[in-house]
Amino acid sequence: MVNKMNETIVLLDHISKSFPGVKALDDVHFELRSGEVMALLGENGAGKSTLMKILSGVYTRDEGTMQIFGKECGNLTPKQAQEMGVAIIHQELNMCRHLSIAENMFLGREKRKGIILSDQEMEREAKAVLDELKIDLDPKQVVGDLPVSKQQMVEIAKALSFQAKVLIMDEPTSALTSKEIDDLFRIIKDLRSKGCGIVYISHRLEELQHIVDRVTIMRDGQYITAMNFKDATMDEIIAHMVGREIKEKFPHVECKKGKKIFEVKNLNAGRMVRDINFSLYEGEIVGFAGLMGAGRTETTRAIFGIDPKDGGEIILDGNQVTIRKPEDATKAGIVLAPEDRKKDGLCTKLSIRHNIALPNLDLICDKLGVVRTKKEEEMCAEAVQNLKIKTPNVDVLAGNLSGGNQQKVVVGKWLARNSRVVIFDEPTRGIDVAAKVEIYHLMNNLKKSGIAVMFVSSEMPEVMGIADRIIVMCDGRITGELAAKGATQNEILTMATQFEKKIAAKA
Amino acid sequence: MNQTKQNPLKKILAIRGMGGALTAFAGLIIIYIVFGIINPTVYSGQNIMNLLRSMSKYLLIGIGQSYVLITGNIDLSIGSMVGMSAMISATMMAGGVSPFIAILVALLSCLAIGVMNGFMVGKFKLPPFIATLGTMFVARGVAYMVNGNRNTEAISSGIGKEAADGFQNFFYYGKTLGVYNTFWIAMVLFAVFFFLLSKTRTGRHIYAIGSNVEAAKLSGVNVVATTTKTYLVSAFCACVVGLILCGQANMGNMEAGNMYEMYGVAAGVIGGVSPLGGTGILLGTLAGSAVWQTLENGLNMIGAQVGIQRLVIGIIVVCAVMLDVVFRRGVVKKKK
Repeated sequence: MVNKMNETIVLLDHISKSFPGVKALDDVHFELRSGEVMALLGENGAGKSTLMKILSGVYTRDEGTMQIFGKECGNLTPKQAQEMGVAIIHQELNMCRHLSIAENMFLGREKRKGIILSDQEMEREAKAVLDELKIDLDPKQVVGDLPVSKQQMVEIAKALSFQAKVLIMDEPTSALTSKEIDDLFRIIKDLRSKGCGIVYISHRLEELQHIVDRVTIMRDGQYITAMNFKDATMDEIIAHMVGREIKEKFPHVECKKGKKIFEVKNLNAGRMVRDINFSLYEGEIVGFAGLMGAGRTETTRAIFGIDPKDGGEIILDGNQVTIRKPEDATKAGIVLAPEDRKKDGLCTKLSIRHNIALPNLDLICDKLGVVRTKKEEEMCAEAVQNLKIKTPNVDVLAGNLSGGNQQKVVVGKWLARNSRVVIFDEPTRGIDVAAKVEIYHLMNNLKKSGIAVMFVSSEMPEVMGIADRIIVMCDGRITGELAAKGATQNEILTMATQFEKKIAAKA
Repeated sequence: MNQTKQNPLKKILAIRGMGGALTAFAGLIIIYIVFGIINPTVYSGQNIMNLLRSMSKYLLIGIGQSYVLITGNIDLSIGSMVGMSAMISATMMAGGVSPFIAILVALLSCLAIGVMNGFMVGKFKLPPFIATLGTMFVARGVAYMVNGNRNTEAISSGIGKEAADGFQNFFYYGKTLGVYNTFWIAMVLFAVFFFLLSKTRTGRHIYAIGSNVEAAKLSGVNVVATTTKTYLVSAFCACVVGLILCGQANMGNMEAGNMYEMYGVAAGVIGGVSPLGGTGILLGTLAGSAVWQTLENGLNMIGAQVGIQRLVIGIIVVCAVMLDVVFRRGVVKKKK
């Protein structure tokens, strides 16, 4: 099954695709060769996913030609694309939560004896694929019971079980732990050596160097350039993606550290939040680093009153506050921009206006509960202006905005109140470089105006670049604290992997 | 791997949806015992026979509705299809048409409604609640129209006493091996549809659609065809129940099957079929329809008024779902 190396196996030319109101792709060119890993780069909305969905048969193109293994292809269905050897791992998890791993893997191409499903045979084969990838899971397990990172691995295993020769991965690492990323890279290299062509879409530019051979860059639905990865510098790539040079990837402002604003004492909430103590001061951003599942999100949820606390004190401006539900937190002046903005942060089917007004209705309604439109208008106009939300007007549905702009709306709806503490949980996940910088500026502005900022992030470079102080968590506990200036990734990683056994050994 | 050594009981419990079904069976036994203590006639052989027969109607409706519910949709037109089937077959037989042709025409009419439902929901993405609300009125309208807005004459007046008896015995009054035929019909169809849902590709696809329609589509599942199949199953079941009602009454009643679609939802939901899709097994529906019928029968036997009956049943349905929700949330919490 070893294919010839360096042969063009996928050739897309003059591809155009329009959705109502948007030209998503405009005369795009794309070429993939056997035995290479191609990074498809571009900001959100550049059309990467759309292009790959055309290649994998999810969308049909309006114009252009498509050759797969030298064969001219008309419009494909997902199944036909699979049969031609094209497999795609979508950005959003696409698993049937109620079905088992084996059932998901063979969905749409079940093995049967007569008309009866041969479950045992499918389970056996699923197990073989999982073993080959060194994923230690029972194929009978129900997918919905697995943690997200494992679901992602199952999705990858599913794509590989097709014997795919063209494998498209759209942000495959966003939910994976570093060990799993290593496993994934090992798998990718293995496939490459077998002559497969791999398309790799990721916003984490720093991980490209480990695997990528060539890059194709897109911007605003157009093909910009393709080049060998070795011949390009990171700055060049970013400049192509953004269309201008970004001077500072991590803009940092110095502020004088002021008085203590916020303090958490002995916070406990289940296994993932144990004995948490920390303080936030005026004029600083405190980064929370750690591996996925270290308990950081759980800590923010406990502080904000989403999950019940088992004990502990929360002190704001010297006064103890009781937070039993999110409403208590926002009343006190603590706000949270949650990790999953589409799920927890926004009502995607409502307009920007209604999203911003939602937590502030008490401020903009009169005594009878009637919304005062003028006040609402003012509030929204201010938020759009301050946060530079890119939108024609505030009546656009929040779900139609790009990831970066959605994040700004999430933040914007809270900033209309006079908040004292703003908690960001992974605010830059899945958004593009330029939008990230805008989010950083936003955090810096909050810091300058004397608001305490708690910044949870799994991407170490940004924590080190943006935060003033870094608190590291592991396994539901705080395992270290250090100044951002002069901190190294190694130091942070050491703290982030101090699991309980080691602590016990030290004591 | 220790699969082979696994306790068979554990193996059964590991089947998805079995939990809900077993809970319903446990509830069934308790309810039956309690009513029997209050009124021992509940335990009598004749009552059991009657119970099995009247339960069969709800079971059939429940099977059809469960197929649709597992895909995450709903079929509100079932009751009207029951009425349509009863009216079409009765009108034709009262007019002297052979029962076989009458059954065939009734079946084709119901399946036509099923195809419409399937296309509106699967192909044109209408919300199933609205689409089947429409066909609910359409089918009931047809039921009224076939005999000019009147209930039919006795079917024996058209096809003669002998043929009418044959029809009535086959669907309702006759017994085989000491049990009413209605029950056997339900059991045969139960076996067939149980097999289809749990052992075949179509069944697997039904669960996949209810679990994540997008994932199913991207995996090459034909969502339109599969959705349509589920509505065809519910149309088919509705048709059979219509024929049973026709056989029971020896005539067609325009209001036959009124509200049955909701009885189907209740039977499924009591048995652990999630109205949100993706979960549930027909064994649960079997238990659910038995719970439902035992309640109705038991309340009747202890002399409760119709009002009380409805009230109790309503509470049971909500409690069954609430138990399910609380239980599942509990499980989720523990995992975190």
